[in-house]
Amino acid sequence: MDGKPNASYHILRVGMGITFIWIGVLIFRDPQTWAAFINPWVRELIPIDPVQTILGTAVFDIILGFMMLINLLPWVVALLATVHLVGILIVSGINEITVRDIGLATGTIALFWQSLPERHKTMLKHKAKTS
Amino acid sequence: MTSLALLFTLAAFGIAETAYLIEKRYASEKPVCPIGGGCRAVLESKYNRMFGVHNDILGFGFYVAVCIISGLFVVQVGPTDLWNKLLILMVGGSAIMSLVLIFIQWKIVKHWCFWCLMSSLTVGLMALIIIISGFDVAALTSRI
Repeated sequence: MDGKPNASYHILRVGMGITFIWIGVLIFRDPQTWAAFINPWVRELIPIDPVQTILGTAVFDIILGFMMLINLLPWVVALLATVHLVGILIVSGINEITVRDIGLATGTIALFWQSLPERHKTMLKHKAKTS
Repeated sequence: MTSLALLFTLAAFGIAETAYLIEKRYASEKPVCPIGGGCRAVLESKYNRMFGVHNDILGFGFYVAVCIISGLFVVQVGPTDLWNKLLILMVGGSAIMSLVLIFIQWKIVKHWCFWCLMSSLTVGLMALIIIISGFDVAALTSRI
């Protein structure tokens, strides 16, 4: 990381890490219930059993959460987490817990931007200006 | 929040903290010392390792193990009696180690290290959860 992340970045990173791992653990506890969040149209698209799909998601959540905790490749992890959360929003649709996923997604976006190396930030800003 | 979630959260805080200290040590950088200023004196003293292993690595292993065990309790996988005994043994051992390290900071090094005290507090809270559970963490699973 080129920039100097401040305390708020680390607080957000650790909080997000705990959330991601804990969600993964809770999915392992009761995968059937979590699989029910997958919309029917997605079930038709994905050839894999919904429970297996959600268990794969749990493993992914735990890996992402652990990497956040130990601050390993933070911008890559935050980007993957954001894409993952956007995927969840699409797959589960709008329901009573959507607002929490939006909160988590904005948190991962903040982590991504804060941990993105300066050279990448400059490149992105340059591209935005030229386009 | 349930007690198991709290135990898990404390272990996760411990992982983040010890990972930070390991990262700083490998990079030969001075860790941020938010309160006081004795972190360096303590972390670079001859008491920074036990059994030939750096305390930060021992702590990291301990916190990862607690995280995994509390996760296994939640998922209800494996021999919960064995996990319970293992958890009590590990947290008990770490609590004793924390007390020894507090004594070393107080009487021998005569400097206080913020991160070491945070870790001691984390272990102390874990011990408190286990005591409150009546030394039966497995029983907490049903209350989740």
